Amino acid sequence: MLSESKELKSCYTKKDRPLLAEPIGVRVRFRKVGDLQFISHLDLQRTMHRILSRAGIPVWYTKGFNPHIKLVFSTPLSIGMQSECEMLDIRIEREISCEEIKELLNREVTEEMKILDVYVPDTKFSDYVWSEYDIELGCGGLSAQTADQMNALASRPTWMATKTTKTGEKEFDMIPLIRVFHAAYCEESKTVKIHTVLNVSSDNYLNPTILLDALCKECQIDCENEDDFWMTIVRVGAFREDGVTPFR
Amino acid sequence: MSNKMKNRNTILKSVSKPGRYSGGEYNQILKDKNKIKARWAFCFPDSYEIGMSNLGIRILYGALNQEEDIWCERVYMPWLDMLEKMKKHHLPLTAHESKDPLADFDIVGFTLQYEMSYTNVLAMLKLAGMPILSKDRGDEFPIIIGGGPCAYNAEPIADFFDCFSIGEGEEMLVEFTKLYIQMKESGNYSKKAFLHEAARTIKGLYVPSFYEVSYHDDGTVKEYRPIYDDIPTKITKRIMKDMDASYFPEKVVMPYIETVHDRIMLEVYRGCIRGCRFCQAGMVYRPVREKSPEVLNRQAKCLFESTGYDEISLSSLSISDYTKLPELTDQLLAWTDENMVSLSLPSLRVDSFTKELMDKVASVRSASLTFAPEAGTQRLRDVINKNVLEEDLLRAVNVAFESGKTQVKLYFMMGLPTETEEDLEGIVLLAKKVLDAFYKNPKRNKARAPQVTISVACFVPKPFTPFQWEAQDTAESFVKKQEFIGSKINDRKIRYLFHDPGTSRIEAVLARGDRKLSRALAIAAEEGFVFDAWDECFHYDKWLSVFEKAEIDPAFYANRAFGKDEILPWDIIDCGVDKSFFLRESQKAYQEKTTPNCREMCSACGANKLGGERSCCPKAKN
Repeated sequence: MLSESKELKSCYTKKDRPLLAEPIGVRVRFRKVGDLQFISHLDLQRTMHRILSRAGIPVWYTKGFNPHIKLVFSTPLSIGMQSECEMLDIRIEREISCEEIKELLNREVTEEMKILDVYVPDTKFSDYVWSEYDIELGCGGLSAQTADQMNALASRPTWMATKTTKTGEKEFDMIPLIRVFHAAYCEESKTVKIHTVLNVSSDNYLNPTILLDALCKECQIDCENEDDFWMTIVRVGAFREDGVTPFR
Repeated sequence: MSNKMKNRNTILKSVSKPGRYSGGEYNQILKDKNKIKARWAFCFPDSYEIGMSNLGIRILYGALNQEEDIWCERVYMPWLDMLEKMKKHHLPLTAHESKDPLADFDIVGFTLQYEMSYTNVLAMLKLAGMPILSKDRGDEFPIIIGGGPCAYNAEPIADFFDCFSIGEGEEMLVEFTKLYIQMKESGNYSKKAFLHEAARTIKGLYVPSFYEVSYHDDGTVKEYRPIYDDIPTKITKRIMKDMDASYFPEKVVMPYIETVHDRIMLEVYRGCIRGCRFCQAGMVYRPVREKSPEVLNRQAKCLFESTGYDEISLSSLSISDYTKLPELTDQLLAWTDENMVSLSLPSLRVDSFTKELMDKVASVRSASLTFAPEAGTQRLRDVINKNVLEEDLLRAVNVAFESGKTQVKLYFMMGLPTETEEDLEGIVLLAKKVLDAFYKNPKRNKARAPQVTISVACFVPKPFTPFQWEAQDTAESFVKKQEFIGSKINDRKIRYLFHDPGTSRIEAVLARGDRKLSRALAIAAEEGFVFDAWDECFHYDKWLSVFEKAEIDPAFYANRAFGKDEILPWDIIDCGVDKSFFLRESQKAYQEKTTPNCREMCSACGANKLGGERSCCPKAKN
């Protein structure tokens, strides 16, 4: 049986807030780690919709026959990649502080999807050009030489790879899309840890898995061996075009 | 994170829809296993997307986890690609929340929603590294319990399960688990002693191994004999008497990936007043017990608050028969609209489909509406007691056409008792009449061409229905009938869908089977049968060869008319409705006479002996 005293939050509190003259844009920065790495971008969109709805955030709905919440995400993450800095822009139509949005949202998500920050942005997603990643890979036979070999590969003048786009297979040079690359062998964990900054702009997006696949191939690491090989990729930072100024 | 988990992640990256296996959903229940006295693994023997859509599991998961001493987790059948990887890497089947193997659990429950999932049940036991036969599992293994609609005739799978819960499980499963904890703590637990105590003291609990079955020379059942004299000779199903007071989850586990029914499911009432003679659900869920609109409205609000779903489905066998439907929809619409939540009604009868109702529900958004006349002529509809008139259907489709809809889907069955060619042709004629109605309707959507889909299923006689004794058509006869219907369609605006008769035949065998079928299912498990409810995995020929190896004639179960004086394999169960009622209904079917619904008149089915609040049964004992 349900308790009669239970206070219902969103149904009632939402409309108590005064309407804004104009809806305002708000940016939500959140993590997507652990089990969440297996959730596709489309599934994330649907999930966000429900989180905003059950949190009672006074989001602006599109007008028209089929009103819906407008969600704009920064660069999507591939399945199997984690992130400490995903971004989502929403529009708010009633008075509410960014702090309150953050607090309400954090009641409705697991730690793996924690809301890190909510603010009114002064940038556009098109200004977001570089992503910083922490990568770790483990399998038998890794050594300091593996890391050296990887560092050498990433500092070649050119390195061609192919990616599948909407218009078919495309040849491209990975090197200009790599801003920082440093691999190091960790004696304690017997793994190779890579710190890298890669392009994420819509025209020149370098998916880290393409780079990693190429590296593994050159270093003769069998990433198909599911009994032995594992890899974690975590997006940890975002930068503007100069590659130094944090994007927020 | 252990290396094992890291490698598990590597495997997940290589399979389709890894979100099926990753877990970590919002609202999932995690407990400290060191403080738990009994661990439950609740298994749904089909894919995650289907299992997550099941309301019964949502309720029982919550009801069990309400208990501090019990931790109930979820388990689903891994899809084919994952199955292959698990076998290759020797990964055991694990529970969703803790990722612990099933063998670590105290009780493993399976919900039995459809017969074609039996092979998945056995595959899951094997994946968990457990012997499939109950007698081969000693005290060190978890107790395996089954429940759900198929448990009403669990005989074909009786050898694999330790026990079954018959009827509604909210209270029974908790009692069962508490008894388990008590006996474990007392230190004199043995599987046999526990099952005996459970069979003796818990109403609705069926332990098949405590009943010896003997057969006549012709293969029919001679006798069910209890091996103890302190256990019931017949197991009566359990019901929740007061649905307002029954446990209903305020929270549901939120899937990240899209599932089949990805919405709030609000259970409005249990049972059905109608009594269609082919329908098992309409019989075994009796008596009708309603929830009050106030309770439902409050539950719906709570669920919206905890899920953020934008759709509420009012779930029941025939929603328009709910006596307080206007009150309920008014109360809901008072807050759903402004919160952008829409209502949907999954089970509409044509005789109650009105403009007012349609305006309130979300199905308005989709271009198509579905109705189930079930048979093509009034005569046959009377035989099956569908109590739907052609006028009702035409009025309903006109309501739909006037609101701009251009597509109608109609469900039928073929192979029903007394069926003739005229009845089959009637299906096509009815579709044509619906098309004519569209063109005659001046308010129709003139911009688009209409489409009428007729979907014709093969009749499967089910236990605990007035048609439980009927012979099913042979697969050959079904194919001929399917071709006959196809030959009568000469309009491209009629879309014709039909089912595979092979699946329906195997379903009939398993539905009306006895314990001898366990032999066949064990062979099927040995040969690696999985996902037989999925067309792409079902192979009729392989099933026939399994029956041959088990020396079982499928026709004995599917295509034989069972004798009215025969002891039926499911006579060991009392579903509340008397056998004499089914017999009367069967006779009335052949006389082409209908039976009024429970609200018009009580036909003395017997289910009121079980009691029930807000039920429409006279003399219901509470």
